[in-house]
Amino acid sequence: MSKTQSNPRERPSETAKKGLRAKSGEETAEISATAPIRAQEFDPHFKHEVSKTHGGEKLKQCFQCGTCTSDCPIARFSDSYRPRTLIRMTLLGLKDRVLTSETLWLCAACFTCTDRCPQDVEVASVIRILRNTAVEKGYMPQIFKELGSSILETGVAYRIPDLRLKKRAQIGLPPLPKGNPEAMTKLAKATGFSKLLKRGEQA
Amino acid sequence: MTAPEKNAKTTPKPTRFLLFLGCAIPYRVSSYEISTRKVLQQLGIELVEMPEYNCCGLPIDPVNHSMTLTLAARNLCLAEQQGLSIIALCPGCAGTLRKVNKKLKENKELKEEINGYLKATGLEFKGTIEAKHVLQLLVEDVGLEKIKASVKTPLTRLKVSEHAGCHVTRPADSVDFENPEDPQALKDLVEATGAEYVEYVDKLACCGAPIAGVNDRIPLQLTKEKLTHIRNAGAHAMVTVCPFCHMMFDTNQPRIERLFNETLRIPVLHYPQLLGLAMGFSPEELALKALRVDATQIVSRISGKEDAS
Amino acid sequence: MTEEKPRIGVFVCHCGLNIAGVIDVKDLTDYARSLPDVFFAKDNRYTCADPGQDEIRKAIKENKLNRVVVAACSPRMHEPTFRKTCAEADLNPFFFEMANIREFSSWCHPSTPEEATEKAKEIVRMAVAKARLLQPLKEIEVPVTNKALVIGGGIAGINSALDLAEMGFKVYLLEKTESIGGHMAQLDKTFPTLDCSICIEGPKMVDVGRHSNIEIISYADLISVSGYVGNFKVKIKKKPRYIIADNCTGCGECRDVCPIEYPNEWDVNMGVRKAISVPFEQAVPLVYSINLDHCIECYKCVDSCGARQAINFDQEPEEIELDVGAIIVATGFDIYMPYDDPLYGYGKYDNVITALEFERLILAAGPTGGKVIRASDGKKPHSVAFIQCVGSRNLKKYEYCSGFCCMYALKNAILLKEKYKEDVEVYVLYMDMRTPFKGYEEFYRRARDLGVTFIRGRASHIIEDSQTKNLNIRAEDMTLGQPIELPAEMVVLCTAAVPKTDAGDLARILSISRDANGFFMESHPKLKPIDTPVDGIFVAGACQAPKDIPYSVSQGSGAAARAATILSKDKWKIEPIVAEVTPELCRNTRVKCGICADRCPYGSIEAIENQPAKVVTAMCHGCGTCVAECPADAIIQKHFTDEQIFAQIEEALKKNPEGKILGLLCNWCCYAGADLAGTSRFEYPPLIRPIRVMCSGRVDRDFVLEAFRRGAGMVMIGACHLPYDCHYISGNLRMKARMDALAPMLEKLGLSPHRFRVEYVSAAEGLKYAELMKEMAEKLDELGPEKIKAENAKLKPILDRMLAKKRPQKAQSSK
Repeated sequence: MSKTQSNPRERPSETAKKGLRAKSGEETAEISATAPIRAQEFDPHFKHEVSKTHGGEKLKQCFQCGTCTSDCPIARFSDSYRPRTLIRMTLLGLKDRVLTSETLWLCAACFTCTDRCPQDVEVASVIRILRNTAVEKGYMPQIFKELGSSILETGVAYRIPDLRLKKRAQIGLPPLPKGNPEAMTKLAKATGFSKLLKRGEQA
Repeated sequence: MTAPEKNAKTTPKPTRFLLFLGCAIPYRVSSYEISTRKVLQQLGIELVEMPEYNCCGLPIDPVNHSMTLTLAARNLCLAEQQGLSIIALCPGCAGTLRKVNKKLKENKELKEEINGYLKATGLEFKGTIEAKHVLQLLVEDVGLEKIKASVKTPLTRLKVSEHAGCHVTRPADSVDFENPEDPQALKDLVEATGAEYVEYVDKLACCGAPIAGVNDRIPLQLTKEKLTHIRNAGAHAMVTVCPFCHMMFDTNQPRIERLFNETLRIPVLHYPQLLGLAMGFSPEELALKALRVDATQIVSRISGKEDAS
Repeated sequence: MTEEKPRIGVFVCHCGLNIAGVIDVKDLTDYARSLPDVFFAKDNRYTCADPGQDEIRKAIKENKLNRVVVAACSPRMHEPTFRKTCAEADLNPFFFEMANIREFSSWCHPSTPEEATEKAKEIVRMAVAKARLLQPLKEIEVPVTNKALVIGGGIAGINSALDLAEMGFKVYLLEKTESIGGHMAQLDKTFPTLDCSICIEGPKMVDVGRHSNIEIISYADLISVSGYVGNFKVKIKKKPRYIIADNCTGCGECRDVCPIEYPNEWDVNMGVRKAISVPFEQAVPLVYSINLDHCIECYKCVDSCGARQAINFDQEPEEIELDVGAIIVATGFDIYMPYDDPLYGYGKYDNVITALEFERLILAAGPTGGKVIRASDGKKPHSVAFIQCVGSRNLKKYEYCSGFCCMYALKNAILLKEKYKEDVEVYVLYMDMRTPFKGYEEFYRRARDLGVTFIRGRASHIIEDSQTKNLNIRAEDMTLGQPIELPAEMVVLCTAAVPKTDAGDLARILSISRDANGFFMESHPKLKPIDTPVDGIFVAGACQAPKDIPYSVSQGSGAAARAATILSKDKWKIEPIVAEVTPELCRNTRVKCGICADRCPYGSIEAIENQPAKVVTAMCHGCGTCVAECPADAIIQKHFTDEQIFAQIEEALKKNPEGKILGLLCNWCCYAGADLAGTSRFEYPPLIRPIRVMCSGRVDRDFVLEAFRRGAGMVMIGACHLPYDCHYISGNLRMKARMDALAPMLEKLGLSPHRFRVEYVSAAEGLKYAELMKEMAEKLDELGPEKIKAENAKLKPILDRMLAKKRPQKAQSSK
């Protein structure tokens, strides 16, 4: 396995940071998670929006017990990532603060929080909704642009080099199934995915 | 005897499945594919190649949930055309396909929405097949008894830990396999090889792989902690059933050792490799060489060439 | 029954200007007089005042009136008044009917006086139509057995038994285990006073044992209960103790010689007891038992007992029968044992225990002599963490708050601190600290003052160090917003209080219901918290929901007082508005039906195979659900018969039916909500013609069909909110199931969906009712009379056919 091979999953976090910026001038800049909360920050309707989305239905049942943060594998090693805090900001309506939060992108989607929540809040799904909403607003880490464009062009998330395909044949593995870029483009158009991806690239 | 009871007793378990390779396995983890093919063939499972497929959709779920659902549904549609259920080696793929399959079967509105997107490609989700992870196939369709019977060299001298990966069982509601807080499948499968199963602290914790593109430090720390616990628990080796977990534990292990100044040297096998060894396949047949952490020591331990002190 | 021709008197009330200010009272009175069978009509300023009532009494006598209609306010206001007035004039009070023209017309339609008068006329006409068909009813009386059964000898049951006995009633106190005392006898100290639990409960237990009016039936199970209020027949099975109770002096010499020990369940299996023993020293009755599962039959006990001859190895279970007039259920709760939660490691980690086990550890008379020690090494822990809400407030386990765990955790924390001072660090991990009653918040401060550390955050997961057997608790410290790993040498799980495992069996035996969590259901959550839906059966203590000691004691006494309202009488009166089966019509004689018995919220109907169903009148609450459910129309609800309601529907829809809404409103919620809309003077369009039923469960499909057959623009059923507001437990749910099936059928037949509706309006939702009326009027307007007429014309032949079996007799009854 060649070390110089570009593995998108091993990209340094700087790229991620670079990507996480909205179109200039369109959105407020990132608000520090610890900054005092000002009156104009509140969007009380936000929680209703989120709970109307698939996976967010139970959001408002949260009683802030901290189980999600306590059992989050990432939170145990991160100084900033706290799933409960993301839920809290959503419930309070601190929309810009939560959508521009860099920690939003630290969820590993292991679903431990979802499985253990005593109030059946699908924490990981709420975070996915927040991420989807952030992307709509133009915030998206670089890695997802790469994964997304690869899927559109090849059908799969990683571009598999020819060398590897040849090696498969050598060791007697059957050839890989074909991708269908044409179908991918159609689906991406229908779901609005291609638009989101373009927005991310412009940013 | 009522009709359904009769059916349950007489219908044989299916033995033909479509193999869903996903993105990561052909990209870097062929050893998992090679060993799985070997082992399943021996156990009488016929794997049919998919004529065409695409990414399961999970990697871009943070960008657009609808696209994820649609990508997964498209794979399910392609399988429906073949009339075969899907076996995925990657728990991320398996979990996503299972979840979407279940949700679309249960939620008519959602099904209509996704079918609306799929229309452009002439496909329609009907909900006629199942999707499973290979681990679930092994315990549910092959069965532990058959696996035990296939073992030629019980690995009695080996102490083995495991990390099954979150998506094999989580989120419990949609994956609908076994209790994620007290999983038994991989434990039973390790014990079926004759190896001694080793428990360790925080066994159920995630390896962190999914955020590796956004943050490197945390996944490495997580994996390091788990490896340390496994080493302290006295395991000779560990097994995984996920290409991403495997990259964290195996591919990244030397990096972890350097970064944290630790000596770990824990061979990380794909479970089918461990079972394959017990079945009598050679290390070459199982592509053991492709592992980053050298596994020759455990091969000699199994064959009794090395003193097991 | 009187079959004399109806002679109806109508009295129209001005209510000062409350009615007369809007409605043309003279015109209305003249109109009433013109109605068939009306022999007398008069208006007066205040009908409810003495002169008004005099006038009614006089008119009854002078004009030989045999039916009276008062057109005034809501029957919920003055129906009892005028029933009494009638009775005083020797007219059966159930020959009275009220036309609600104030709340339902003058008050809610003040700006359209002509339409209000028109509506009032129709309301009066509906009332007259019903009055014409009224039947005299007599109050029913049953005899009362002046004895009580109390089930469960915990602190609630003990108080019930003592209070009833002190009032002079004979009480049977049934206890499942060998001794009364319940959970309280297992506890060390009690909050917030730190009294020793058994020191305060023990004397009460002794009082019970000694009281001449109380008979303790311990180590016995309830087998069956039949009968009804005042007259219950109870079967009890006594388990064999292998000891003749009368001969046992409780000296304990047998125990001293017994060689066999086994884990004592009463000690949460932490201590042991002998194969012949009592579970604890203070047991009442102090009668020994032999556990044959452990006894090796060495007969040493027989020898030591000697001449007393109290031991009998041949003892058999014994069944006894009792007659009682009232029953108090005080069966208490169980403690959730979290074996099924791998995250806390209970049963796997030695030093993780439940709070009840902790009580036995710290209790001086407990198995360790009051030393708090670890199971792993017998050493005293230097840090103890209490984890709250284990199983409680968790949708995956028990949704509710167990109520007293915060307080007992505080108590245990304080006891530890007082006992070991700075030698032990005490932590409480909690989500919300709940200390609402007298002296409780002060107790919380005392714990803080003693140095107990409170961590706000739910403990999500415990990890054991395999070497030291110490524990690491994972939580988020919410106040810091950081995940923490808290080290502790012992963890105490404050687990949920859950329904007794046999609560379901008991509910079946007693025909009482259980709530969603499995606790016994009270008759009304606010106003009848001790009653059950079955008259004569009451609940007390934690079998109804988790409760602490003072609350259980109060409820025990409360239940005794409630039971005494029955026991203190020789005869018990029952409302005559009940259901009655016409045996000839009942299908159960021919086919296996029993639908009525199945749907009755009170289990008051018996449907024995091949026999006509029978309503046990004393158990019937008169909701009428069975009447609506009966497929053969074989059941009648007195005072709310099909005939009467059909007559009201006919009158309501005589003129311009497509412009009207026919309302079928339940007495307790929607009718009361409509009253409130009037009282609040919320104005709405005068389109509804309301018919009162006691419960929406009474609303037969045929009522809806008949209304549409007669051309109604809309039909609305007004019910109590789902799921629990119904005053007859589940009448609204039954109605909903019925109408959920009817609605799609009507739509299929071409009825626009908005024309038939089921609405839930509470007694407090006057505004909602008024808004609803406005919205429905708009819809009616949108649809337009032509469309409605066309739909109805299409429906009519089908409905004619469907209602054919009911038609003939109904048609005759109108003029």
